[in-house]
Amino acid sequence: MSPELLAQVAVNALMLSSMYILVALGFALLLSVMRILNFAHAVIYMVGGYICYQLAVVYGINQWLSLVLTALIVGSFGLFLERYCFRPFFGDMNRIIVMTLAIIIILESAVNAAVGSYVRAIPSFAPGVIRSGGVSLSVERLVTLIIGTALTLMLIFFIQKTKIGQQMLAISQDSIGAALQGINIYRVSAIATVIACALAAVAGSLMGAILHIHPFIGDYMLVKAIVIVILAGIGSIGGVLGAGLILGTIDASLPLVLSGSATDAVGFGIVILILLFRPQGLFGHEA
Amino acid sequence: MNLKSKLIKPTGLASLVILLFLLPLFVKQPYYIHIFIVTMLYIIVVSSLRTIALSGQVSVGHAAFMGIGGYFSGVVAKELGLTPWLTIPLGGLAAMLIAVLIGYPFTRVRAIYFSMVSLFGGIVIVDIIRVAQKWTGAAGLAGIPPLSPINIPGLINITFLGQKVPYYYFTLALTLVCLLILYRVEHCRVGMTWKAIAQSHLVASSVGINEAWFRVLALAVGCFFAGIAGACYAHYNLVLAPTTFGFLPSIFLVMYMLVGGRDSFAGPIIGTAILLIVPELFRWLKEFAPLILGAIMVIVVFLMPQGIAGLFDQIKAKYGQVRNRKVPENAA
Amino acid sequence: MLLETNGLTKYFGGLAAVSHLDIYVNQGEIVGLIGPNGAGKTTAFNLITGVLRPTRGEIIFDGKEITGKKPHLIAKMGIGRTFQLASLFADFTVLENVVASFYLYPKSGFWEAMFNTSTYRKKEGYILNQAREILHLVGLDKVKDELAKNLPHGYQKVLGVARALAVKPRLLLLDEPIAGMTREEISFALGAFEKMRLQGMTILLVEHNMEIMSLCDRIIVLNFGHKIAEGLPGEVRQNEDVVQAYFGSEHAA
Repeated sequence: MSPELLAQVAVNALMLSSMYILVALGFALLLSVMRILNFAHAVIYMVGGYICYQLAVVYGINQWLSLVLTALIVGSFGLFLERYCFRPFFGDMNRIIVMTLAIIIILESAVNAAVGSYVRAIPSFAPGVIRSGGVSLSVERLVTLIIGTALTLMLIFFIQKTKIGQQMLAISQDSIGAALQGINIYRVSAIATVIACALAAVAGSLMGAILHIHPFIGDYMLVKAIVIVILAGIGSIGGVLGAGLILGTIDASLPLVLSGSATDAVGFGIVILILLFRPQGLFGHEA
Repeated sequence: MNLKSKLIKPTGLASLVILLFLLPLFVKQPYYIHIFIVTMLYIIVVSSLRTIALSGQVSVGHAAFMGIGGYFSGVVAKELGLTPWLTIPLGGLAAMLIAVLIGYPFTRVRAIYFSMVSLFGGIVIVDIIRVAQKWTGAAGLAGIPPLSPINIPGLINITFLGQKVPYYYFTLALTLVCLLILYRVEHCRVGMTWKAIAQSHLVASSVGINEAWFRVLALAVGCFFAGIAGACYAHYNLVLAPTTFGFLPSIFLVMYMLVGGRDSFAGPIIGTAILLIVPELFRWLKEFAPLILGAIMVIVVFLMPQGIAGLFDQIKAKYGQVRNRKVPENAA
Repeated sequence: MLLETNGLTKYFGGLAAVSHLDIYVNQGEIVGLIGPNGAGKTTAFNLITGVLRPTRGEIIFDGKEITGKKPHLIAKMGIGRTFQLASLFADFTVLENVVASFYLYPKSGFWEAMFNTSTYRKKEGYILNQAREILHLVGLDKVKDELAKNLPHGYQKVLGVARALAVKPRLLLLDEPIAGMTREEISFALGAFEKMRLQGMTILLVEHNMEIMSLCDRIIVLNFGHKIAEGLPGEVRQNEDVVQAYFGSEHAA
């Protein structure tokens, strides 16, 4: 394998991992703080991409500004989600699942009906190529990688160092105990939802520039997020990083030798093996 | 319960069944018969999903097992020339076998994690089907033989090829039999044991219930019927596409069950029927049609905590409250 | 000896919840396992019933080793238990709770169950009768059709015992059976336990409440996972270490 190919695969792996991690972290956050299997995360990712497209292409707003605006807009949508779609049904798994599925259906078909299902691309955020040591790498992917990593680090810092982040950890371990200690679960859940949605939206926009956007790109991402959370293990937000890296690397390298479907099959085999020996996931605690 | 209320349910059911048997006399358009056939097959699948859910395991990959049954039966019938009457039960068994094999490690996983893992499992099964292109075809499986004709000389001669009505009756009979079996299983000891495990696995094991064994059993039973339905679908549709059994269809199955009502046996039946038939009525909306689906779901989520099937109980409870308030005036 | 543990130890991470526990219970005894919160009593129960695997040590029941066996197999061997919390099938009625717990007896075949044959119905009827008898024994027959989750706390605990009895255990492990009960419920419960003892039941129970001591033949006191005292209720009550443990822990709280 030529050094250039190796470098490109490495960058791809890291970039893909960082995007997966952004989405998976949000998903894991909602799962551990609110015990919600948020299928709707798929459409949040997709909607983020579309809003960025709208702002940057249709309204001609500066791309980086569009990115920030997208995060803000979708983040506030997260507030609406938590308040009116999740909070009324806290604890009732069945209804929440139906609710998130309803959201997927409504948003996917609304977008599909409104703007059509053909594939578009968001214009590149950082066009061009870097050449160094005889190896050329896409600036776009490098920048995405950097943004993804930065956001991930910020989130980790937020969880470990800020009061609200600590509250989130507390709730994820024992929600009743946390409430008894005076933690406002609703407020923390709202913040968690906002963060998760904003991150997913950013990922959708960045990936929309590298790949494309269409109404159903979210489905693919949702699966990745779920696989990562399974691999990471019960209650482990840190494990998401490791699992995300593993999956990103697999998805960046295996397609060079196997077809897409076979890659998934290999991944499945790995997950089954892992679960056989460690039912609680790679980094989880005993069930 | 007085005699009158005891008779209402069975009479209602009997009338419904009779109506269904007589349906082809009134409804002639093949398209509508088709809708009924497909709906009935999905009713079997969603009911079997609920059977698995009785044990506390909500599988979000169930459509894949429908696919295993369909592809197995279709391929074997097509390549080996066996009659579908034989390959359909084989399809069910194939689905059951796979469920047991990959199900065992998943039975150690708790509730929500089981759902996530089953979702992943469903996707991978379909991927494997796609990868096995040599048998399953690049974009799908075509050329599946229809149900072979039933020919008892002097008595009956039924051809299935090109006809919808024979398929309708076959599916109706099959659905009734499958639902009957699922109902019996749920209401005997096994069903009670499943429900016990779902409520508290700790207490269940403390009375000697082997949790893992029963969870695998639930998977086996549920996936068997999904496989059968899938196989019948294959020999009805004569073509299969992998997307029919993927991630989104699996999620829809869960949705049909939840919207109909997870707590009652009729739930999946009602949910599937409404969510499959109502959007058909709105077909003229084209790409806006799914929004109707979404709207129904939102209404159900906000107004009916036990799903549509629970609506009757909800009304009864509310009506009962109103009635009781009047009683004190008449009480001695 | 019906039940015996040797050097039973369980570590959670670096913390020893139970440490070198040697206890024994003889047939027909009622033995109390007492200690302040966190002493390791419920952990010991979970180890004996197979819910947790010990880090070290062995557990012997009726001459056979049961260390690390799965909970349902241990139930089959004749150990029944109640739980501190969540002792029931919440959405089942009281009667259904006990009927469901008759899992081990007598089993109908698959086909008999499917076709609702008379054999099946007879066996189910037999189970139903036995369930009703147990409910009568513990005094819950009046509420047999109530949903378990709607019962008052004390009744729920009694239901837990009824459920454990369905296993026809030789050894009954009761985890805080009278915690949260009212005065009358307690005296009723104590009477029921005495009745069971007269019928030859062996009981190992965990309690906070010192009152239960009067019922026990022998008391074992735990603190921080160790056994710190053992003997007749009278002796233990006056043991200095025991008083320290309780007195001391009261201050800590």
